[in-house]
Amino acid sequence: MSFPHLHVASAYSTHYGVTMPEALAEQTKAQDGTFLAVTDRDGLYGAVKHVRACVDAGVRPGLGADLAVHDDDHLSLGRVVVLAHGNTNGRGYAALCRAVSAAHRTVSQGFGSLPSIARSELAGLAGLRSLTVLLGPASDVGTATGHRDNEDARARLTAWLRAMPAGSVSLEVVCHLSEPGTPGSVTPATRMLALAEHAGVPAVLTNAVRYGTPEEAVTADLADAARTLTPLAELEQPQTNGQAWLKPARAMRQVARMVVDAGLHDDGALELLFRDTERLADRCALDPEADIGLGRPRMPEARIIGVSGDPVAELWKRARAGIDDLYPRPEAGARRGAASAEDAHARLAHEMKTVEHLGFAGYFLTVARVADIIREMGIRIQARGSGVGSVLNYALRTSSVEPLSNGLLWERFLSPERQTLPDIDIDVESARRHDIYRKLFDTFGGDRVSLMSMTNAYRGRGAVRDAGLALGMNHEQVASIAKQMWRFNARDFRRALEEKPELEPLAAEVRESQQLDQLVDLTAKLDRLPRHISVHPCGVILSDATLLDRTPVQASGMGLPMSQFDKHDMDPMGLIKLDILGVRMQSAMAHAVEEHHRLSGESIDLDRIPLDDPATFELIRSTRTLGIFQIESPGQMELVGKLQPEVFNDLTVEISLFRPGPMQNNMPLKYLQARHGEVMPDYLHPRLEPILRETKGVVIFHEQVMRLFDELTGCGLGRADVFRRHLGKPEQLPRIEEYVREMALERGFPPAVIDQVWTVLAGFGSFGFAKAHGAAFALPTYQSAWLKTHHPAVFLAGLLTHAPGMWPKDLIVAEARLLGVPVLGLDVQRSTLDYRVEELGDERRGIRLALPELAGGTAAERARIVRHQPFSSLQDFRDRVRPRRKTFEALARVGALDSFIGYDRARRHELLAHVQSLRGTAVTINDDQLAFEVELPVQGFEGARFDAVTSLELRGRSQTDLELRDLHLAVSGHQMTRFYPLFAELGVTPASELADLPGGTEVLIAGVRRATNTPPMRGGRRVVFVSLDDGTGPVSNVVFFHDAQERIGGPVFQTRHILVRGRTRRSGAKGVSVTGENLWDLTEVARKVDQRRKAEAAARHTDRTIELAAELAAIPVDNVHHLWPLRA
Amino acid sequence: MPQIIDTQVDVELSADGDPQAFIWNRFEHTIIGQPQAVFTRTRWWENDGVPLRIDTELWRVDASRGDEEQHRYDLRRDVDGSWVLALDWG
Repeated sequence: MSFPHLHVASAYSTHYGVTMPEALAEQTKAQDGTFLAVTDRDGLYGAVKHVRACVDAGVRPGLGADLAVHDDDHLSLGRVVVLAHGNTNGRGYAALCRAVSAAHRTVSQGFGSLPSIARSELAGLAGLRSLTVLLGPASDVGTATGHRDNEDARARLTAWLRAMPAGSVSLEVVCHLSEPGTPGSVTPATRMLALAEHAGVPAVLTNAVRYGTPEEAVTADLADAARTLTPLAELEQPQTNGQAWLKPARAMRQVARMVVDAGLHDDGALELLFRDTERLADRCALDPEADIGLGRPRMPEARIIGVSGDPVAELWKRARAGIDDLYPRPEAGARRGAASAEDAHARLAHEMKTVEHLGFAGYFLTVARVADIIREMGIRIQARGSGVGSVLNYALRTSSVEPLSNGLLWERFLSPERQTLPDIDIDVESARRHDIYRKLFDTFGGDRVSLMSMTNAYRGRGAVRDAGLALGMNHEQVASIAKQMWRFNARDFRRALEEKPELEPLAAEVRESQQLDQLVDLTAKLDRLPRHISVHPCGVILSDATLLDRTPVQASGMGLPMSQFDKHDMDPMGLIKLDILGVRMQSAMAHAVEEHHRLSGESIDLDRIPLDDPATFELIRSTRTLGIFQIESPGQMELVGKLQPEVFNDLTVEISLFRPGPMQNNMPLKYLQARHGEVMPDYLHPRLEPILRETKGVVIFHEQVMRLFDELTGCGLGRADVFRRHLGKPEQLPRIEEYVREMALERGFPPAVIDQVWTVLAGFGSFGFAKAHGAAFALPTYQSAWLKTHHPAVFLAGLLTHAPGMWPKDLIVAEARLLGVPVLGLDVQRSTLDYRVEELGDERRGIRLALPELAGGTAAERARIVRHQPFSSLQDFRDRVRPRRKTFEALARVGALDSFIGYDRARRHELLAHVQSLRGTAVTINDDQLAFEVELPVQGFEGARFDAVTSLELRGRSQTDLELRDLHLAVSGHQMTRFYPLFAELGVTPASELADLPGGTEVLIAGVRRATNTPPMRGGRRVVFVSLDDGTGPVSNVVFFHDAQERIGGPVFQTRHILVRGRTRRSGAKGVSVTGENLWDLTEVARKVDQRRKAEAAARHTDRTIELAAELAAIPVDNVHHLWPLRA
Repeated sequence: MPQIIDTQVDVELSADGDPQAFIWNRFEHTIIGQPQAVFTRTRWWENDGVPLRIDTELWRVDASRGDEEQHRYDLRRDVDGSWVLALDWG
């Protein structure tokens, strides 16, 4: 006995359903079910996952959507379930997709804020027996039935029957056995059944499912609270009970008996209800292939990508031409290590065989076409991912890394054994990404292109907030708990409370409070549930003109249509997805190149700079890598210092080593020891040496694993990649091991070597990194390092404009100062919308602060400033820019208006007073008119200075204070300068001096917190890295191990201005960090020192003791550095 | 006036899963007709902890002991599967 559920919301009905489709399908199978429909609200969000789960579970899938419907007058007809019919060659599924898209179109067209489809449109789509519409309790018919208004219910049903094609309407009987008189009780259900009998319309039984099991009803309560932003205690329509679960057949029959028993029905009503339900399920069972097109790739039509003839021939032609352009001719003396055209042609032939075999020619042409379009727009582009391993992609100029000389493999990307659609990622300038999307929609047409969506799931903070909301907890309390919800999964909230020292105060509160105790469990329930969908940051779907028959779309935040499917759905649905990812570093580099061109007229082609520039590597080796792509984090700085890269390939290795997998497997250390000659590289066997030589015997790259498999077994690189991927699956290991041992023995490897190699391979697991990724990352790493070395001013301007990295702008400004690049203050005469570089006359270039840095300014004000620059007077500025008072005063405070007082900072308080005294609105001046030239009063003032009107707002505030207040950036000096006298007094070691100290030296260091990291660690115990900046040099990195974390508690994450006591720890030639032992709040220390000094002064006491004397006594005097430039 | 009984009883289920008889005070009470189940939700957030179920399962049945006059009863099934005779409506 089985029961087919026709109305089921999965967890992808966000804030409504709470069970994942996979769990629903599994449960159906366990309950002997043979059919399951998922009908998510307003969309097919969980559809592909549902169908795949059904295929896996051996259950027939149905698909539908729970949609709002309106009539011609835009009056609501409630919600209905729209189900697609199967065995229609995809017609039913296409109609469903279009119905969902139509419902969302109402929103974008401005009729209401919630998706809703017009009944007339639904009727049009339901023709040709494509769809069935279920009118249930939430429909207008159901509402009328619920109100016992039989006449109205009949009239409304008649309207539906008139509007819809014959045979496309059924009535939906739902009963949740709730208390008599409430929705979901037997009475409305039995009346609905009677209505069906009266009208001669089939009735089907559903359970309007929101969760798999009764235990999940609590989570649905939370979903209701989150959806309506209302605490549970105040919900207007809470679930009447917890019966909306995926009930097995017996429970559904029980419900049906009670429904039939509660009213007067025809004989056999019960069996008829089940027969009609079965019948509709049969009709709605979809064939994954024939109906949904699962697994069938669809490329854009040839003519769309500019191909007239056979795509294969066209691909051959373009690739050959590309090779002839890009590779040196045989007669020309090639550089050592460079690949020849002959090699490239041979590799191309190899790659094309697979492409032809898999029928992917159209795919490659499509991607190349997209790359061309982007390049034609003058936008920087860089391919990334395993596709970089292909000569074909290089020849088509989709990728700019030469694969042969870098030892990259085609099979890591594509092989007959690897049949999923290939993935080529394209990095572009982040600032131009939306332009590219629009251009692609224009070029390929809106019926072939859509953005991809992504499902955002609950994580700790969101989960605790929504759980707190449901419990009606006070907002501040929840917010303070949410702040602590990081670095662990919300599902493990309870365990984290027990284990993490910084959570102990919270754990104590939880023990005391029943509500907090509930909060912990509820937070765990929400974790990982889909929360909402949004546009994916880089996915663009390209297909043929049937795209909108295969995916529903809705408007994305940026206006362009977005598919309701996410990246996991792409390959099953045969949709080509291009990852066009906006990379801020590409924008930053483009900005640098543009600025350089503007100032000097020289054009830099970053893709053609030599990859062996000694000065660039010198800079990288110095670990002054702040701002350089991929290698600027504290951990990377340390690794770069140890590794000391000398050639491009070293960068590839470095980037590949700095990944969780290799880090956890201690690969960096093994590699570094071999690299620096501390241990002999172990190549295991002479035949394996060519594979392992580049990484000194340590297996780092996927490509090496593939080559090892191939060399050991002769299996070919395609199969080798399959083995490589299976290494991560423990259940596959014995089978692979057996094969490897047998074949390797046959191919002449001694058993001892086989043992050794197998240990390496098995230990590698799925870790490591594709060298193709590493090499693709290394290129912008090198390019940005080159720019920082040779054109620091424009490069830093690019960084400040596009903020590509992990560090705050204030630190980039500090870095500029250290590099001798002046950063020029905000000035309404010169500052523009981005950071511009100015020639300073003495061969130096300075970076001018950009207008958007002013906190509180509006885009309109900024636009007017830029449009009317320069200004002849303050009056002119006020009349043309019409700044709001707040902006006006902030500009005056930071000195952006100093040009109007002859850059005499001493007079700024007068200027500010004048600005503050201005009354009345600014006069609007036409663009073609001159402003009134009214002189600024203070300028002409000649009496005694102290009689002038002044503002006290600037008193006692340094320029740095003012900048931090209004710009959040310290431009004129470093924000730590004010602590320098204190540092000198305490004997704090400047960051710039740390590198000269031997390891194990006890030191005090201090600074402003710039970053906090908890990188993955071998051994699993958490380590906290804090990066401090004191303004003297690179950031100093402090490591807090477990015992120190316990000693310090919360401040390890929270304190902003920090004083640390610890010991230096040397790592390699240039690397130094500090192991932190204790930590104080610098502001607190400063206050105490000040207090003590005052007390001493009062007592005429001359001893130089301070609060921390005991702590400081432990530090040997010869390690104390008095190198702080004291403020005059 | 209903009489509060609140005592654990053994309930015999039919092949369909409906209660068909219960034993109370050593006497079997046979259930007559289609019993109706009602699930009533709780305001669980007002209590301690997070519950497994958010509703209480009550069956309203008409039953009689032997040939005696039939009474209406409320049977409650708890999460652990045990049955409690909650009310005798008379």
